[in-house]
Amino acid sequence: MKSRIREALYIGLFDALPLLRDPMLLVVISLFSFLPVIFIFVFADQRSAMQSLVGAIVLTFSFTGLFASQSVYFNKQWFRFQDMLVASKVSPASYAVGLSVSGLVVALPGVAVALILLLLSGPTTAAGVLLLLITSLLLWIGLVFVGFAIGATTKNARRANSIPQVLSIALGFLPPVYYPLDRLPAIAQPIAMLIPTTHAAQLAKYYFGLITIPLSQVAIGWAYLLGFAALMGFIASRRAHWVDP
Amino acid sequence: MEVVRVEGLGKTYPGGTKALEDVSFSIQKGEIFCLLGRNGAGKTTLLRILATQLKPTVGRASVLGHDVLTDPQAIRPHIAVVPQEARPQMLLSPYDHILYFCLIRGQSRAQARERTQKVMEDLGLWEHRDKLASDLSGGLRQRLIIAMAMVADPEVLFLDEPTIGLDPLGRRSVWHMLRELTRKGATILLTTHYLDEAEILADHLLIVDKGRTAFLGTVEEAKGDTGLGMRVIVEPAAGNGSTAPEVLEPRSAEEILAIVERGLREKRKITFKPASLEDAFIKIVGGSIEVENT
Repeated sequence: MKSRIREALYIGLFDALPLLRDPMLLVVISLFSFLPVIFIFVFADQRSAMQSLVGAIVLTFSFTGLFASQSVYFNKQWFRFQDMLVASKVSPASYAVGLSVSGLVVALPGVAVALILLLLSGPTTAAGVLLLLITSLLLWIGLVFVGFAIGATTKNARRANSIPQVLSIALGFLPPVYYPLDRLPAIAQPIAMLIPTTHAAQLAKYYFGLITIPLSQVAIGWAYLLGFAALMGFIASRRAHWVDP
Repeated sequence: MEVVRVEGLGKTYPGGTKALEDVSFSIQKGEIFCLLGRNGAGKTTLLRILATQLKPTVGRASVLGHDVLTDPQAIRPHIAVVPQEARPQMLLSPYDHILYFCLIRGQSRAQARERTQKVMEDLGLWEHRDKLASDLSGGLRQRLIIAMAMVADPEVLFLDEPTIGLDPLGRRSVWHMLRELTRKGATILLTTHYLDEAEILADHLLIVDKGRTAFLGTVEEAKGDTGLGMRVIVEPAAGNGSTAPEVLEPRSAEEILAIVERGLREKRKITFKPASLEDAFIKIVGGSIEVENT
């Protein structure tokens, strides 16, 4: 187990090294999810701004999960490092975890800054921060599986870039993650609740005391995120091949 | 000692493309075994199956006594692969690549640093250790990929066109390195399009054509199949309008005498050349090329 964690750590570091050594790129990637927050801070009230900041943290995790597809694609089809690592004692699980964590490592500075801003903006409990991170991590796991399925099955570099970008709009910018759910027309709200990022954002905002939702909706949110991660894990296990069929 | 054994191996891809059919051979410890064939002949498919990266459809293959399909985990710690068209990460240095591959493969930091320096010195990369891969020539990048595979000190090394893009000196340094490895007991399977490379390196070779075995044996046996192991090139007679020389492969002393007599009679220049592996290769797979062209 220790050797597997070590493998994953070094695979993640190797994948993240170019970004970690380029501070400009690191700032851009790390703050990507937080750009809309600036506009909301300028043009909306403080309650909306706080919600957008929580939403941005949730989306940072989501995007790093989704964009694991690019690492998977490039390591398999472009660099061919996956072939080199298959022919070694590295396990597929270490490889998958390593590539997923590399994105997370790069995004962590942005998350840290956002959490500090939230803590400075009002009273927040440690449990609130912890539950926000757990919710985000659960969504991240589900989207890592999506990213792996995309990266492992796409043989076209443009698609490996464009599919996660389109999905990031559908999962991040359209649903009520940055903005409150009640800003949507009543008819659109049930549709928004079909999207996993909505559930994660609702739970995170709830645990930060920014919105109130019934306990049944909290339970549904957790069940949805768990089910989503399990379903995506099943799909990825069927589609993302370590050894080609 | 038999290191690789392949029996009746076949591969049909999920889309229905038949890449390999009924291929059988074995590789002994310490050998360099070359896989030759035209583009799309099935060389990479065969190499990837043996390197446990691709599942065969029929037949059996084992490496170091372990079945590639049922027991790949027992094989993987003892092998390394240089994939076709692998590229380094352009924003990292050669030192980063090799060090991290040592670490990923389970070496301690001290072992990894030591091994990295050794492999880089062996492959002439040490002086380039801190450059970005984007600043390296194509040949140095290819050497870097080979170095990344070498860190494992593998018992069996699979190389898919490893010297493509290397200059003549770079190719020779790789050949020297491969010979050194086999001297230490490693076994090597490599695919190449450079027939001079196969001629120099191969202890045994397999020529695959359209997924099937077209030839299996030594380089000398392959050349022997072309006749007496020599070619006679008869230049066109002056003023006959023809520009293409005749290339003949006499199979007996009588045939040679007849060619010489004809050359003297027609006042044509005659050159004797030893048959090369390229001649043998063209002869072995030439039949299928002619069929395709008709």
